[in-house]
Amino acid sequence: MQTMSTVKKSIITAVCIALCYVLPLLFHGIQGAGQIFCPMHIPVFLCGLVCGWQFGLLCGLAGPALSSALCGMPPVSILPSMMIELAVYGLIAGLMMRCVRTRHVYADLYISLIVAIVAGRVVNGLVNALIFARGSYSMATWVAGSVVKSWPGTVIQLVFIPSIVFALMKARLIPERYPKEVPADD
Amino acid sequence: MREHLTGQFTPGTSILHRLDARAKFFGFLILIAATVCTDAWPGYALLLAVTAAVVAICGLPLRTALASVARMGWFFLLIFVMNALFFATDDAIWHWWILTLSVPGIVQGAQVTARLALILVMSNVLTCTTPPLEITGAIQTLLSPLRLVRLPVEDIAMILSVAVQFIPTLLEETDTIRKAQIARGARFESRRLHERAQAMLPLIVPIFLSAFKRADELAMAMEARGYRGARGRTRKKSVPLPLSGWGALALCAIVCAAEILL
Repeated sequence: MQTMSTVKKSIITAVCIALCYVLPLLFHGIQGAGQIFCPMHIPVFLCGLVCGWQFGLLCGLAGPALSSALCGMPPVSILPSMMIELAVYGLIAGLMMRCVRTRHVYADLYISLIVAIVAGRVVNGLVNALIFARGSYSMATWVAGSVVKSWPGTVIQLVFIPSIVFALMKARLIPERYPKEVPADD
Repeated sequence: MREHLTGQFTPGTSILHRLDARAKFFGFLILIAATVCTDAWPGYALLLAVTAAVVAICGLPLRTALASVARMGWFFLLIFVMNALFFATDDAIWHWWILTLSVPGIVQGAQVTARLALILVMSNVLTCTTPPLEITGAIQTLLSPLRLVRLPVEDIAMILSVAVQFIPTLLEETDTIRKAQIARGARFESRRLHERAQAMLPLIVPIFLSAFKRADELAMAMEARGYRGARGRTRKKSVPLPLSGWGALALCAIVCAAEILL
């Protein structure tokens, strides 16, 4: 991806943090929608993919904290594990976008996204098992919470996030990852 | 969507409005710690009294101060019912299938609900009585030790401040997009959950496009005015925390100590 100024990356990160509060509000009317559709994950992935790992990490840490402070969701009891999970999403998405260059935007996006999703879910399971729910957290709980219950959210992430990045590139709101070479005038 | 907006700064002249933002922010964190630490009824009674006193002092209408709690009523009810009916215990009052109603379950539900409600009211009072820029300054002070590990504290504080200020704008945009979708036949009010969830999905891409457009405009405006990041920017000489701020912090610390002892 071509370079973006630090100021623009900062403002995009700020918008993504704000969206971590706004997007879940849409789903609050549906019971248990937060865990099923994972709306807060989308801005964090986008921030990591578009702005880089530092900004993705900040978005993952600050997004849930801001939302929890303003509307109580996620509840304080699950906030630390969620902050770590989302921080890993932003961090890994950004790092993968820096490392993976297949010359195809969609391939880069999907590889980065899938690796970030898997890493975030695994780290979430590990921090719960080792720190936050030590002794009461099992493999079955992790599979039920992070894989079975949230599969609609994972599908939404895989469908929408590459499309949003592509739409942003088309709208020239972020630079093209592989800009087409313009033939030189004679 | 706009009715979800709580915690918007309301100008006023109360003691809380005039109190130093850093003292308010740190005091808020101390009171959150006190709320999380407490697990006895006298402790909850003390916190309730402190919160009621804070709401009375801040001079905000009761409706504004309690708005966030009122809007989350169904959520509190759900948390209470879940705790009351699914708490594993031997001395059940009533039992049917997987549901077990017990006194410890009811107590647990009431405690979780009380904690959340108290934290919500306190955070609402903080944001209603403190301008966003002053909150940024307070966050910057809080993060300042991170300068030792070379973290760009000023930039992080600026990002958090812009995020808070973007929330009303994004809520308004989302509302406009939602209404446009209703006009096209989206069924947000359907009784079927999957129909309601499906209706939300077409909102996602336009919301992001609109939000990124706003971000692009703001970044361009900031760069056009010479902003090149917070590092190296001069700022007003920082004023030491006044006596009133230290007094407020001492009161919060006393409440926290009392909560631990009770």
